[in-house]
Amino acid sequence: MKFFSQSFLYDDPWSIVSLAFFLRYPNPYAAHVISCDVISRTTTPTGSLLTTRLILKRGALPRWAPQGIVSRAESWVVEESEVDPLGKTVRCRTKNLDHVKVMQVEEWVNFRQTSDGKTLQTTEARILSGFGWGLAKKIENHGLKRFKANVQRSREGVSLILNLIRQSRLQPMTLGGEGLSHSHGTSDNDSRSSTTPSGPWSRLKTWLRPPSST
Amino acid sequence: MAHSLSPECTPLKLEYDACFNAWFEGYLEPAVAASASTAQREAYSHRKAAEFQEKCGKVWESYRLCVQKAVKDKGLEALLQQARDENPLTEAPPPPSTAGKSSS
Repeated sequence: MKFFSQSFLYDDPWSIVSLAFFLRYPNPYAAHVISCDVISRTTTPTGSLLTTRLILKRGALPRWAPQGIVSRAESWVVEESEVDPLGKTVRCRTKNLDHVKVMQVEEWVNFRQTSDGKTLQTTEARILSGFGWGLAKKIENHGLKRFKANVQRSREGVSLILNLIRQSRLQPMTLGGEGLSHSHGTSDNDSRSSTTPSGPWSRLKTWLRPPSST
Repeated sequence: MAHSLSPECTPLKLEYDACFNAWFEGYLEPAVAASASTAQREAYSHRKAAEFQEKCGKVWESYRLCVQKAVKDKGLEALLQQARDENPLTEAPPPPSTAGKSSS
């Protein structure tokens, strides 16, 4: 079994980093993501948002992997997350559903706001192979190496989305249309900010939405 | 917004995602302080949930049913349920990380 642990500090506030995290698919650094669906989404009485997503990822097997080690190089991944907007934390756990005998990767990602308004991301992972033929250790080492590279790519993906959100929020049009400032204290403002279609999200959408869809 | 696992659900998914994301953006910046009373916080959460229901409830229901069926058709239901039953968000995070923390 291999463990991985890393932390990373974003300069942006928690709300923007968390938004970018949930909007991270698709991005050019995540071309391996084939599909991403919300399976369930509920709010708790205390106002946290619980989400389960089912993601299909394309994987690449190492050259030394025996033929037929898996029937197809795709993997279903389940992502469970909890967002607490008042406590300003995101907790997210991800693990693969299939090929678990070959390798099970479990990942825990947390985001929390620091006292100086930045966002601390911590990532922990556990990589376990139950494969025989003395290959388990080799597979785990490979998995860890790939996981490290993916953490880097994943962060680049989130940073890219972060940039897009920042840019879209700088547009005067957006600010006029719907301020995303902390000022929407009244329910009036609140509802307006969510109904106006020309917000940062719709801008992002036009950038990100694949051309094949409408 | 990536595609849905089933092509027929993708249009519903895109519509749902757009609706949810607009709501989510406001949700992440709550108009109530963390120091507010429990009652205030609950009232706010309640309002926010109702707002979602009003705006996105319909498309969410259609999209949810579509995906539910697709998951069943692909034979993923049991696998998914099993994984969710051992939902670890309620458990402690992984064993002590012996690997040193690195920050960049």
